[in-house]
Amino acid sequence: MASLASVGQPAGHVEGPSKVTGQARYTADIRLPGLLYGKCLRSPFPHARIVSIDTSQAKALAGVHAVITGAELPDRRIGRFFLDKPVLARDVVRFVGEKVVAVAAESMDIAEEALTRIAVEYEALPAVFDPVEAMQEDAPRVHADTSTYTHPPVPDFVHPGDDRLYPDIPNVVSQVFYTHGDIEAGFAQAAREFTHTFTIPPVHQGYIEPHASVVQIEPDGKVNLWISNKTPFVARAQFAAALGVAEDRVCVNTAPIGGDFGGKGSLMDGVVCYHLAAAAGRPVKMVMSYTEELLAGNPRHPAVITLRTGVDANGRIVARKARLVFSCGAYSAFTPLHTVHGSVHAAGPYRMPNVEIEVFRVYTNTVPAGHMRAPGAPQIVFGVESHMDLIAQELGLDPLEFRLRNTLIEGDAAPLGEKWKKIRCKETLEAAAKEAKWGAEKTANRGRGIGMYDREPGAFGPSSATLSIAADATLTLMTGAADTGTGSYTILQQVVAEELQVPLESVRVVQGSTDSAPWEVGAGGSRLTHMAGQATLAAVQRLKEGLTAFAARHMETPSEQVAYRAGEFVNTNGQHLALPTLMAALAGREELPLRYTGEYVAEDPMDVTSFCAQIAEVEVDPATGQVTLQKLTTAHDVGTVLNPLTHQGQVEGGAIQGVGHALTEHLIVQDGAVTNVHLGDYKLPTSMDIPELKTVLVESDAGPAPYAGKAIGEHSNVAVPAAVANAVFDAVGVRLMDLPVTAEKVYTALREKTARSRTMRRGNS
Amino acid sequence: MIAFEYVEPESLEEVLALLEQHGEDAKVLAGGTGLINLMKQRLVQPAYLIGLRQLARSPELAEIRPNGGLTIGALCSHRTIETSALIQHRLPLLATTFRHVASVRIRTAATLGGSLAHADPNQDPPPALLVLDARIRIQSRHGAREIELGDFFVDYYETALEPEELITTVVIPPQPADTGTAFLKFLPQTHDDYATIAVAALVSLDGDTIAQARIALGAAAATPLRARAVETALQGQAPTPQVIHAAAALVAEEVDPLADFRGSVEYKRDMAVVFTQRAIEQAVTHARGASGNV
Repeated sequence: MASLASVGQPAGHVEGPSKVTGQARYTADIRLPGLLYGKCLRSPFPHARIVSIDTSQAKALAGVHAVITGAELPDRRIGRFFLDKPVLARDVVRFVGEKVVAVAAESMDIAEEALTRIAVEYEALPAVFDPVEAMQEDAPRVHADTSTYTHPPVPDFVHPGDDRLYPDIPNVVSQVFYTHGDIEAGFAQAAREFTHTFTIPPVHQGYIEPHASVVQIEPDGKVNLWISNKTPFVARAQFAAALGVAEDRVCVNTAPIGGDFGGKGSLMDGVVCYHLAAAAGRPVKMVMSYTEELLAGNPRHPAVITLRTGVDANGRIVARKARLVFSCGAYSAFTPLHTVHGSVHAAGPYRMPNVEIEVFRVYTNTVPAGHMRAPGAPQIVFGVESHMDLIAQELGLDPLEFRLRNTLIEGDAAPLGEKWKKIRCKETLEAAAKEAKWGAEKTANRGRGIGMYDREPGAFGPSSATLSIAADATLTLMTGAADTGTGSYTILQQVVAEELQVPLESVRVVQGSTDSAPWEVGAGGSRLTHMAGQATLAAVQRLKEGLTAFAARHMETPSEQVAYRAGEFVNTNGQHLALPTLMAALAGREELPLRYTGEYVAEDPMDVTSFCAQIAEVEVDPATGQVTLQKLTTAHDVGTVLNPLTHQGQVEGGAIQGVGHALTEHLIVQDGAVTNVHLGDYKLPTSMDIPELKTVLVESDAGPAPYAGKAIGEHSNVAVPAAVANAVFDAVGVRLMDLPVTAEKVYTALREKTARSRTMRRGNS
Repeated sequence: MIAFEYVEPESLEEVLALLEQHGEDAKVLAGGTGLINLMKQRLVQPAYLIGLRQLARSPELAEIRPNGGLTIGALCSHRTIETSALIQHRLPLLATTFRHVASVRIRTAATLGGSLAHADPNQDPPPALLVLDARIRIQSRHGAREIELGDFFVDYYETALEPEELITTVVIPPQPADTGTAFLKFLPQTHDDYATIAVAALVSLDGDTIAQARIALGAAAATPLRARAVETALQGQAPTPQVIHAAAALVAEEVDPLADFRGSVEYKRDMAVVFTQRAIEQAVTHARGASGNV
């Protein structure tokens, strides 16, 4: 696509300068006249009955304007799909960190002091923390009665599974099956079978900006909300439902988002902030501390992944049965829809005719889980790709060879029977292996490991965008989608500049509030380049058509004889009409700016996919168990890269997030409570921890985004943990079945291995 | 409410007078990297906060001076010590150690005296200062005293400092000839972490035998500690791998680590042995190539 001028350029983020110079005003920076500060008292118990709450001392404190408890609020549960979460706990608390009492005061300091003056008496109840234990008949029930909880029908864009919501299994929220082929017949063909179980702890998204909310209620009752949320229109619907008002009584205003990684799609403190503002009669701001984020944010689901695989005599997979148990914590309100999307990846990008995937989402007395970059996939892929290496080892096959025998190739049906276009799985794996020098000599205690993943570009509902042109011919694209830091505004700017053949700087991209922008799902599911990109293309097309009609009238030429070309109109007589001249002529005659809205809806499920193959190279210190990641190779099959800079930012940022998931990041839960509650103890990788990163792009032309682009946002983080664990095995022969791969775990496993081999030697002698 | 009175005296005498007057109700604020966090968590709630900013140009409190060995003012930032040409030349062990502390942002704010008074046993500088036989000079309105750093640390976040006292200077005596040192910080998680175990070693050679060995550990007990049994086992011995191995093994009995997110008690004890051995080996290698620097 050599003819492209703006698309394909490494353009820097349009909103970057305002962020790096400190000019960007985030939700936490908002100041309003009379603003109060809200804070919540949280439960210290994982499961308890609230016996009594005494707020009199807090109410008596000077500067306190509102103190509210769950009993004072309407008995209305909130959520996205499963509406099961009270705004403040009513009668029962179900996790450590659940909000019990909310306070609004003149300052954050007074609000915090007020919390210390609230007395809550609890009666502890039996609690359950492990999702597998929670499914046992004698397990404590996290919710005594779920029959009153509502859940709308599963949207049609969700991958179809046989869904059972609240089945008759203790604490199970949903049980979903994905099947293809005949699983029993498949295992009957198997020469050998392998079963392994993996456990994955919860992790936090690690965004820089903690959740913040500001609520201002106008005299007529209209509610202005500012919230760290990447899907403002969805948030408006959930918020209005939580208040019991019509959506047009709520305006979700805009503010930049300081990192998302999937975690900024819930209402978090928004609704309690509203109730405080209503009670106090003044606007209220709530900003979570990072301790609150780690204790009670919306982390990635912990999971127990069991995989059983049948392999024929030639090392080809004939059947895969997966049992995936996800803990959603105490509430399912802001978790992904009916189940965790990534479950469909339990078969991996491999040819297997017979598949049965059973997914449970289970209540436990732990922090409610949410979305995080490729929900469900990193947990499952850690299992799937570790399992692949374990099987290869048992079969005496090189892990690369075993995968090459089983990877999907063009013409194959995907494991769940879908027909995908342009399958470049094998090519991507081979490209990674070549770059990583798979098979080359290694020094002692060095190892290499592979991880693979595939993902479809996101669609998930409609997108729209409004392109306007003012009297001075300046172009402004308004979108209702938040740029969460991925560079989506920059991509949209490039699309407009490309189509109109004008310089990038002449196009402004702004986010509109829910009152001003056209309806838009928002960010999520790697969808914006695709969906907002297509909506922007449609808006540009409408603008071109509209202006061409005006130009034709101005030039007194039939429309079909007028063409648009790089900032001007030309008719077949060779007459030129510059865009500014046309706009000046329209001033006074038309209502300016002229606005053109484009909309886009894609059909789901997508039949396009992108493959990712990653190879980690590690060195293990056998005396300490320390794992040093030396090199990480990440290969992706991509469509047209619209912006190489932001694309590479996504590839590297994701890979680094994967490194954290692999080696250091985990919420440490003891007796239901997260215990590593500040960033000194929750270890995100720093720039000093990042190894040599190598990216290989394998070209493909089947993308559904403008200019045949694909998605990249949720690809490079997923398979890294498995690649690292597989590399550790290759280096020193120890296999970790749980994350993260810490030095102490490797050290302990090495000592056990040494002890075992000593015992065996003694047994042999 | 976090209410307190903040004062910024112009002189050391005024600081000492305020400390005398308010005793335990007062806290001294230097870089604030430790104290402010404790205050935000409401773990420490002083009625008076005495800022030392006005003393930043005091020669005694803010300078590094050669004095046989060296004296380092308590208000010197970690970054100042790390980058001081005098320290890099005379005591490269300290420059190396201070470079390992947290991030450059913290090092720019955090002061030597403040970190010693904070007495978090996971800090990096104390083991290095312990093997240098550092002493600390403490002053109150009633006079000055000088104590061994090893006697200064009493317990977890507890020191021998009285409420009316202020650390003014750290005194590092001249070091023996033909000496090599090492500081090893075991960071199995991320590079900006506290140590899982930290070991400083100083070895001086007399020909082929160890004339003197000093070994100290951080993150290994409720206070930073000297590993005296290891030192004794090395004294007068030839630094062979067997001798070093056997001596390092003795550290397991000297440490008393706390289990935390950086490791279990057992793991930290095992790592204390591994890194003690490695630190001694490095110090011996440096001593053999010694140019007289520590």
